[in-house]
Amino acid sequence: MAPLQKRALYSLAIGVIWAIAIIVVFIAKGGVTAYTEEQGMRAILAALLIGGLLAYFIMMRLTLRKPGQVDERDRLIMGRAPVVQLWAVFISLAVWSITLTEIYWDQGQIPVIFPYLVFMSLFIVNVLAQSIGILIGYWRISRYG
Amino acid sequence: MVNARVNNRIRRLRFDHDEMTQEELASRAGCTRQTIIALEQGKYVPSIELAFKIARAFGVTLEDVFQYEE
Repeated sequence: MAPLQKRALYSLAIGVIWAIAIIVVFIAKGGVTAYTEEQGMRAILAALLIGGLLAYFIMMRLTLRKPGQVDERDRLIMGRAPVVQLWAVFISLAVWSITLTEIYWDQGQIPVIFPYLVFMSLFIVNVLAQSIGILIGYWRISRYG
Repeated sequence: MVNARVNNRIRRLRFDHDEMTQEELASRAGCTRQTIIALEQGKYVPSIELAFKIARAFGVTLEDVFQYEE
């Protein structure tokens, strides 16, 4: 397994745990209502989000900076990962838009807090999709060349 | 459409060079061992730069390592 592939696998595992932690904290602290009203809860979730992102980027950066760890084939695979990220973000945005529109159709307006949640979720999806994109890239190149 | 393919003799050349390991070749060519494995399996076509580095690692010309077939 290539070092970047290994790193992507670890990042995906850690990223899934990180996403689950954010969702669990969100639900345990009272969901959308509490998120709207409590400044403290917003701070906790923001800290979890930023902390997770920093850890992810530091991990990736360390792999990319080590000499001999990443070569042209790895860079080619990494360069294709944004296609997966784009689709993941696009599909997530579509799911959010359709769901919120359908739920709040009768009220004629969507609560103002949702753009925050949409943004946070898209960020998480984007980060996880990068690892998935890299892993798909390795799988495709080993299967089809 | 023309069906083209780039073949290589890396495995053979490693054998001829005192059974040079994939790791050693990767280190000399400046790539990872996984790329050498992919090249030997014909699952990856290297850039012209990497192709030259591999040829130089064996001390041969580019066409002694890679062959283009139509």
